[in-house]
Amino acid sequence: MALKIEKTFTVQEPIERVWALLSDPRKVATCVPGAQITEQVDEKTYKGAIKVKVGPSVTDYTGEVQIVHLDAQNHEIEILGKGQDVRGRGSASMKLTGNLRALPDGGTEVASVSEINVVGILAQMGSRVITEVSNIMFGEFVKNFQAKLQQPSDAPDGQATAAEAAPVNATKLAWEAAKGLFHGKS
Amino acid sequence: MIHKTSPEIGGMGHPIKRKEDLRFIQGKGNYVDDVKLPGMVYGQMVRSPYAHARLKSINAEKAKKLPGVLAVITGEDLAKANLAWMPTLSHDKQMVLATGKVLFQSQEVAFVVAEDRYTAADAAELVEVEYEELPVLVDPHKALEPGAPLLREDREQKDNHIFHWEVGDRQATEQVFQKAPVKTSVHAFFPRCHPAPLETCGCVADFSRATGRLTIYMTSQAPHAHRTVFALVGGIPENNIRVISPDIGGGFGNKVPVYPGYVCAIVASLTLGVPVKWIETRSENLQSTGFARDYHMTAEIAADRDGKMQALRVKTLADHGAFNAAAQPTKFPAGLFSICTGSYEYPTAFCEVDGVYTNKAPGGIAYRCSFRVTEAAYLIERAVDVLALDLKMDPAELRRKNFIPPEKFPYKSSLGWTYDSGSYEPAMNIALEKIGYKELRKEQEEKRKKGELMGIGISSFTEIVGAGPAHSFDILGIKMFDSCEIRIHPTGKAMARMGTKSQGQGHETTYAQIVAQELGIPAADVTIEEGDTDTAPYGLGTYASRSTPTSGAATAVAARKIRDKAKKIAAYLLECNENDLEWEPGKFFVKGSPSTAKTIQEIAFAAYTNIPPGLEAGLEAVDYYDPPNLTFPFGTYVCVVDIDKGTGEVKVRRFIAVDDCGNIINPMIVEGQIHGGLTEGLAIAFMQQIDYDESGNIQGGSFQDYLLPTAVETPHWETDKTCTPSPHHPFGAKGVGESPNVGSPAAFVNAVVDALSHLGVKHIDMPITPWKVWNVLKEKGVA
Repeated sequence: MALKIEKTFTVQEPIERVWALLSDPRKVATCVPGAQITEQVDEKTYKGAIKVKVGPSVTDYTGEVQIVHLDAQNHEIEILGKGQDVRGRGSASMKLTGNLRALPDGGTEVASVSEINVVGILAQMGSRVITEVSNIMFGEFVKNFQAKLQQPSDAPDGQATAAEAAPVNATKLAWEAAKGLFHGKS
Repeated sequence: MIHKTSPEIGGMGHPIKRKEDLRFIQGKGNYVDDVKLPGMVYGQMVRSPYAHARLKSINAEKAKKLPGVLAVITGEDLAKANLAWMPTLSHDKQMVLATGKVLFQSQEVAFVVAEDRYTAADAAELVEVEYEELPVLVDPHKALEPGAPLLREDREQKDNHIFHWEVGDRQATEQVFQKAPVKTSVHAFFPRCHPAPLETCGCVADFSRATGRLTIYMTSQAPHAHRTVFALVGGIPENNIRVISPDIGGGFGNKVPVYPGYVCAIVASLTLGVPVKWIETRSENLQSTGFARDYHMTAEIAADRDGKMQALRVKTLADHGAFNAAAQPTKFPAGLFSICTGSYEYPTAFCEVDGVYTNKAPGGIAYRCSFRVTEAAYLIERAVDVLALDLKMDPAELRRKNFIPPEKFPYKSSLGWTYDSGSYEPAMNIALEKIGYKELRKEQEEKRKKGELMGIGISSFTEIVGAGPAHSFDILGIKMFDSCEIRIHPTGKAMARMGTKSQGQGHETTYAQIVAQELGIPAADVTIEEGDTDTAPYGLGTYASRSTPTSGAATAVAARKIRDKAKKIAAYLLECNENDLEWEPGKFFVKGSPSTAKTIQEIAFAAYTNIPPGLEAGLEAVDYYDPPNLTFPFGTYVCVVDIDKGTGEVKVRRFIAVDDCGNIINPMIVEGQIHGGLTEGLAIAFMQQIDYDESGNIQGGSFQDYLLPTAVETPHWETDKTCTPSPHHPFGAKGVGESPNVGSPAAFVNAVVDALSHLGVKHIDMPITPWKVWNVLKEKGVA
């Protein structure tokens, strides 16, 4: 199941500071609910894991994250992530393109395009559910991302991931997804 | 004519209440999952998340270490016993557990056996399977393109084409089309759907090391055929296999094939020496067992300007999924699809079907339909409506003009079938009159002026059921006769057993009524038993509306054999010549002296206590009935719909079903069958599809996405009938269970298209969801 999700959000931080965070997969990973980077393979490649819970279905992906394109001058980054569920319940891949733009007020606009492909048990939930789950995860990500930006830059990271890597709350996710399906009628 | 029995006897035509319902409504039915045997353990499938992938490794170590786990069986284990593959009912083979690669999402990869269900389910999650993803084929059209990924590496033929099948006169049809003044065509996709019986499939396999006997309690529509398959595949002597189909909670064709779960449970029981239960979850049932339809069809009609049809040409691409596991008579790769000329006289016709493999669950099965008859009826009834639109003719008039006239029966169709009997116009007239067709057309005209959307859909279908005559019909070589054995007890009560198997059709009642009709023994005194291969005579089972045409006929013939013997006994008791006796249901009497009589009960008692010299004791008979032809039920359904322009929602305002299934055994059961079939037809037309995304992920794999109609969605059904008996059936019956599912989808779709036809809409594929209709309305600038 292929999905394309385009999201734009703004943060009240200067572009270089945002870029420093966005261009470091180890740091970005700590903002993704349920995700963690476990190992750096080379300059551009990392090993990682992400746990996604939708209702009764838990999917535990492990795989690789690779920086395909990094342009510090134009503040552009393209990341390719690929993973397989540890119990063979399916696979997922994501191509994320991120783009920063400095705003006149000193803030930064983050524009992202994610192309997600999910195969397996999770994909049976249908694009309606998966899109909602992605939206919720993205919302959590933005919150974490903003919180991270507000931390002093010398705060310890990396190893803090374990605590933050708890998966998204399944019940909440399912509820949000259900609400999304009914377009807020509930 | 059928002799009308008293209500006490309750022979044919009496709406007696279903005997089986006594236990069902008390919750006392006995289904496979109710079977609990001492020491029984449980199996759980590990299934593939991928639609197409190389199987790199299976690591079951963690699963095996879980306390309570007894075994984990893989394809490699089965391969050692030559059981990794099994034959399908369509000359193909299918994997029991995957070896090498997987070919559809949810395919069976390993079988975990544990002391309880929960442990088995937990252990299944611990089985680690490593896959390497392969390119996925979900579009059957792409499956035939050069360079398409090869799905079935096991076959000698190195492409994805399964079969080409054609019937009719291609050349003559072509010539008619070249000259015909009017040509119409429609591309109609009948989506993949699933019978979704309320009871999923399952079994308890119980191998006794002490006796060497294997007893299998299973959800089987064809217990004898399955026993033979297990004997042939597993090498177990057939006398050591006993298949028991207890109460079955709906089959609709879904319980005809042999599924890997059955085989795995048997292997596990043989290995462990204890009973092994395997029961599918709802999603497993929807995702891996026999789907139905998935036919991409094109119909073209050549006609005169005044609407007289001259020729029909049909081309179909059939998506069979990963294995050709279609459950159908062996000589008919596209089932009885060539009934696609329907109720109409076509001087010439040509029909061709190509079957292909895709990365989808294997099938397909005849969902409440006699092998692709639903697809055929839908196609022709859709095509006739499109022709009516093209000719700007009333669809009822166009049908009337082209119906096979009653005097032409038995009618030989241009695609080779001999229709036994039919009289199509009266059924249509009743339906049109009851619905108020003329008034509705006026109303439609008025509504259109106001911009409101309503439509009237007609479907005048003809079915072909009751497979079938031994000269053409067999499954794996076994001829498609069916059987009945009747024993009359000394006190005049009876026990009858058949080779068929009820899944809710009410056989315990209707078969008893046939015995009552033929012997005058009250239906209440006749016990019917089916489903135990140790006791029932051999038969091919219940599907394709074949129970009444085959076992029902066998019941009548066996009863008549008993009556012949009873006559001899009566003559002996009455001290008269056999020729001086006359029969009325329940007794023989001397001609001209009705009080000089012996009841069937007295005769039965004498058969054991006062046996005439030269006659064998007892009163019983068996009959294996080979029908001389199939039967051809028909009818006209009319549907009225209103469409909400804002939401695209279609509301069925009225639906009238006029059926002709020949002579009726139990009118109440017939009506119930029609209600059920129409409700399933409604679901197919508006709600259901087993869809796949481009990666082969199932998008209709649970009741979240595959919707079942409830009382809320179901409109009020109105029914009526005509009666044109089958000339070759012993009591003129034709079979009815499938007519409503065969005939109704076209009525629903025709009604929706009729509501939108003035906007230039000629066809909409099922399922007609509000979203689909709303998009059409939006495109036409109406929404």
